[in-house]
Amino acid sequence: MNSFKHFFKRFKYFLITIGGMMKSIKTFVSAIIISLFGIAMVPNSLAKIGSCNDPILLGTTISETGPFSTLAERWRKMTEVFAEELNRSGGIFVKNCNKKVPIKFVIYDDQSVPATAVSLYEKMATVDNVDFFVGPDWSSMGGPVPPLADKHQIPMVMANVASPNLYDRGLKYIWGTPYPVVPRWSERYFEMLSTVEPKPKTIYFVTHDNPVMKNLTAFWSKKAEDQGIKVIGTETFVPDTKDFTALLAKVRAAKPDIIYISSFDAPSVALLQQIRKMKIKAMDVHHAMLSGALYKQVGEDIQGMTGELPWYPGIKGDYSEFVENVLNKSGVNMFDYIFSLGRIASYLTMTQAIEKAGAIDRELVKNALYKGSFKSPAGNVVFDERGFAYNNGAFAVQMQQGGKVVVVWPKEAATGKMIWPSPTWQ
Amino acid sequence: MISVEVLAQVLLGGVLIGGLYALVAFGLSLIYGVVKILNFSHGTLLAVGGVLASTVYATWGIPLSLITLLLTPIFFAYGYLFFKYLLEPLSKKNHFESTVGTVLITVGALLIMSDLTAKFAGPTQKNINIQFETFEIAGVIVSTTQIIILFGIITLTMTLHYLLKLSWFGRAVKAVTQDPLGAKLCGVNSGKIKAATFAFGSSTVFLASVLFALSFPVDPYIGFGLTVKAFTIIILGGIGNLPGALLAGIFIGVAEGLTGLFWKPEWAPALSVILLLIILILFPQGFQKSK
Repeated sequence: MNSFKHFFKRFKYFLITIGGMMKSIKTFVSAIIISLFGIAMVPNSLAKIGSCNDPILLGTTISETGPFSTLAERWRKMTEVFAEELNRSGGIFVKNCNKKVPIKFVIYDDQSVPATAVSLYEKMATVDNVDFFVGPDWSSMGGPVPPLADKHQIPMVMANVASPNLYDRGLKYIWGTPYPVVPRWSERYFEMLSTVEPKPKTIYFVTHDNPVMKNLTAFWSKKAEDQGIKVIGTETFVPDTKDFTALLAKVRAAKPDIIYISSFDAPSVALLQQIRKMKIKAMDVHHAMLSGALYKQVGEDIQGMTGELPWYPGIKGDYSEFVENVLNKSGVNMFDYIFSLGRIASYLTMTQAIEKAGAIDRELVKNALYKGSFKSPAGNVVFDERGFAYNNGAFAVQMQQGGKVVVVWPKEAATGKMIWPSPTWQ
Repeated sequence: MISVEVLAQVLLGGVLIGGLYALVAFGLSLIYGVVKILNFSHGTLLAVGGVLASTVYATWGIPLSLITLLLTPIFFAYGYLFFKYLLEPLSKKNHFESTVGTVLITVGALLIMSDLTAKFAGPTQKNINIQFETFEIAGVIVSTTQIIILFGIITLTMTLHYLLKLSWFGRAVKAVTQDPLGAKLCGVNSGKIKAATFAFGSSTVFLASVLFALSFPVDPYIGFGLTVKAFTIIILGGIGNLPGALLAGIFIGVAEGLTGLFWKPEWAPALSVILLLIILILFPQGFQKSK
């Protein structure tokens, strides 16, 4: 008791001395606030890695602001609901702990900026001391962020990083669960094209200047040629482009049967509006990211277009009820946020890997992930030796009247009939 | 081989977007000419204005003319208060502090305005979605929207030009630009004129934002790119020279279109930066002084 009194007495003199040194009350108050903030940060920075008594910390960033936020703005809520739902049954069973351990996410907004994401993952590795990483998304972040995971030897299951070449760098702590991956992105669409009448003979690619979109065009233009559809033009545009007159004047003059737009949703809004204004005709206009977010921005102008959808509620598979529940509770519509499955698959994969490893141990989890196969509602996520989930595909969809999205291919999963050639583009 | 119709289409598009760039540059040009401040948040005002006008139009269906009448004074007031309370106090500091402070405040305003707009109106792109008729003349597609915007650009340029040339305010602005001390001796309150010019520049960019959102989608983050284009335009067209700025804007718009047509569209947005660098290297004093 005396020692406490002594401590407080000393502390009081210390405060008085410091207070006297402060030039103004304002400075003193600021210092106190900063100190309290520092104290508040202590529990995280002292978090024990691999402890059975603390929640398993999963560090992630989400593009809540910036250009990619249209695709991800509800994912913080979705992530929190995922943890709540998983923890409802106790969490992940960890054999070494002989009990279920709950999970906890550390979430930051990367602002859609790769450099910001890099600094946030560094912070999560060194200050927050997270056990494992899940995320980030987008190939532009899949370039600079993963080397950090290798540097700190923290397994990272990225979400929507779909470019295969990003997995070719010999990094040992990296996996990714994008839905769909570039080599399977438009597989169902091109399958469908081989069955339609009249058959399309020419295709024009319009590409958003972004790593995954350029990969998409490179891969599927080759596939189109292999399938006997002649590529009669390829144009690339930067995300800030507002006036597409020159690009579209060339497309209009070329009169392609199919216009294939490899673009994220937001950068192509002006493009789609101007396609309509310039009265461009085609059998079909295909958008690689046809989404509810795009429909909200463009409206009826995208009616009749085709696109891809990785999965939708109603398709039964492993964890499908769990995922539907998470989506419902977080207000995420699969068509509005078409890449939500890639995100959730990264969480599902990491939690299954921890359970498989039987320990909250980075090296054991790394070994569990290596060439592993993990369950998801859209079939198993199967990693090759690079950590790339080469098997993840998507359904072909068409936006029909009133913004209704219909799965049109493959036939066994179709929820409606494909209207071909698309009447709105005639 | 590029056909005449395609070329005509690209030229029309270039004139339209170039005219809109010029409208953005007008305010910046006036502000720099009088206050000697490079307002990095100027283009972001267009983004905020465009998002605001589009949201108001989509939510309440208020006629565009009424939206313009209601919001222009708000942007004027914003500009006045922004200058009076954030920028004017810096004029009492030494040159270095004043310059650095101005950059920090205007860049900070750019970031804050973009993020606040995204927070309240959402990050998605927005238009003033009025469907006007489109018609074809000799293979060239022309929309009524384009004609309205061109008419708006010409009217606004002429109005601003004559307002600055013939009104007391315009003459006071010119006097403060040319000789602040002389203007003061003649009874012109240069502090108030500077604040009014900043406010006037902010309200013209709102008018530009309405025309812009009629034809192109706007989002909270498009501002900085437009500011860079506006810098190029005022260097090309001359500070305070509105018809010069209009011609420079159209030149950049058409040059971007032709770059996309004859070379690669992805290089078109970089053109204004390349032009800016070339002008700064070849004509460091600007075109007007080099004559």
